[in-house]
Amino acid sequence: MISRSFWDRFLLATFWSAGLAILLVLTGIIGYLLLRGGSSLTVEFLTTAPRGLPLGTSGGVLPAIKGTLLLVLIAVLAAAVPGLITAIYLSEYGESSKFTTLVNITIQCMAGIPSIVTGLFGYAFFVVYLGFGFSLLAGGLSLGIMIFPVIVLTARDALLAVNEQYRLAGAALGVSRWYMLHRVIIPQAAPAILSGILLAMGYAAGATAPIMVTAAVISAGMSGGLMEPVMALPYHLYILFSQHISMEKAYGTALLLVLLLLFLNITALLLKGRQGKGGY
Amino acid sequence: MADTLARFTSLVVSACATILLLAIVVFIARESWPVWSSFGLKIITGTDWSPLASPPQLGLGTMVLSTLWVALGAMFIAAPLGFSGAVFLAEFAPAWLAGVIRPVLNILTGIPSVVYGFVGATVLVKWFEVSFDMASGESLFCASLVLTVMVLPYIVTTSEAAIRSIPAEYRQAALALGASRPYVALRVLLPLAKKGLLGALILGFGRAAGETMAVLMLAGNTLHLPTSWFSKGEPLSALIALELGTSEAGSPHYQALFAAGLVLLIILFIINLILTVIRKDYGRVVRKN
Repeated sequence: MISRSFWDRFLLATFWSAGLAILLVLTGIIGYLLLRGGSSLTVEFLTTAPRGLPLGTSGGVLPAIKGTLLLVLIAVLAAAVPGLITAIYLSEYGESSKFTTLVNITIQCMAGIPSIVTGLFGYAFFVVYLGFGFSLLAGGLSLGIMIFPVIVLTARDALLAVNEQYRLAGAALGVSRWYMLHRVIIPQAAPAILSGILLAMGYAAGATAPIMVTAAVISAGMSGGLMEPVMALPYHLYILFSQHISMEKAYGTALLLVLLLLFLNITALLLKGRQGKGGY
Repeated sequence: MADTLARFTSLVVSACATILLLAIVVFIARESWPVWSSFGLKIITGTDWSPLASPPQLGLGTMVLSTLWVALGAMFIAAPLGFSGAVFLAEFAPAWLAGVIRPVLNILTGIPSVVYGFVGATVLVKWFEVSFDMASGESLFCASLVLTVMVLPYIVTTSEAAIRSIPAEYRQAALALGASRPYVALRVLLPLAKKGLLGALILGFGRAAGETMAVLMLAGNTLHLPTSWFSKGEPLSALIALELGTSEAGSPHYQALFAAGLVLLIILFIINLILTVIRKDYGRVVRKN
């Protein structure tokens, strides 16, 4: 018979190894990319356009960096304001009506839409139906739809997390809801809201599926016109790898993308940690 | 005055957001309608995919099976790993270690799927090719493994919250009876949290089924019906990503790809609905004080 203390040790070891495995995965991924891609991540790589035949075997990724930044910018411009307003409705004005429940469920469902389906919609609606063609605008708006629920949900939770005492104090003083909102509650929730927007930006910067069917191409100039197709970092990585163009450059691009997202996500985490300084 | 205006604006914008979701579903359904009306359910049950033949064969069965297989496979690996990790974080991890692991989980969710796919393809696929002497190492299994890593953070975080929400009385009572802490975790806490754990799994399944880039780079993309976990396959999401660019707008091929999107959407809405029902008694919105 296996003794109970053996079982206890076995279980404990399982729990510990699961916890440590999580740490190992992250350090493994980042360490692996640093090891393989570190050498190709040079200043030249960041500041020149791809060259060589097939394109991408030498040179850098500057147009892809620019394309990704533009796509993210359009996505945030399109999604942030309506996202914040919806969040305000859900947390401040929507009491618990049937409609609020409906909006809540809808936003949850939207968050569950796979990014490729968002891309499919973007392709049918922006590229074909509205005639934007394969373009920066179509890709940016598709990404905007994708990050919209992320912005709503993080902003809603940030607003709800503001200490209830403030609301009560405001109500007791007879201040209007709107005054309370823009003078007290939004400033209190601002760091967490901003953190949510940064997370959403990271999500948009890393997304490949929606842009590969609406905006991204293997090679594009630096013009940055709204109706022109663009290069983007995640798509560039996918092409370098899947067309066997250059593994060395692919490692470099992957590392760059991960570093960009680490920066965005860690900033978001730190910002979120600042919330709730207001005391009770 | 400003208050009424703010209330009205926010109401209108939220209504528009709700309509947008509806518009996405309606648009995708409308684009795929012609093939549904002419092929019916044969689209899902058929396994022949040659959209350019005449007459076109538009069976998505192979891809539906691949999607389910990859996602269920990922859950099969992620469940024991994720639950153990959650128990570790909630019960056994020293505070400093938990304080390291939680942000790490957060950061892991932020790594883009194309990077996971890339690392999986250069490490896992290579490893399979070298150690099993295979011509190409891609398989549904590889895709499942990488999806496991991708959904693990969601599963761990959600399960940990479920375990933490168990009232302390249960823990105290069990410990007072002389049960050891690992025993309590396995036989008391996990069974009590089973609703939350199930929710975590469903959430992970939804994430895995909708994932595109990782499966595109790892599943092998062949149109044969998968016969085992180690055969190649092409999930719905990969099919759409690969073929949308080459399909002519309005052709049966194009419409069938929208049908694929609709099938994927329906799978995920069902999952979300189950999740909402399960979560109902947790309360949807909790004001914190």
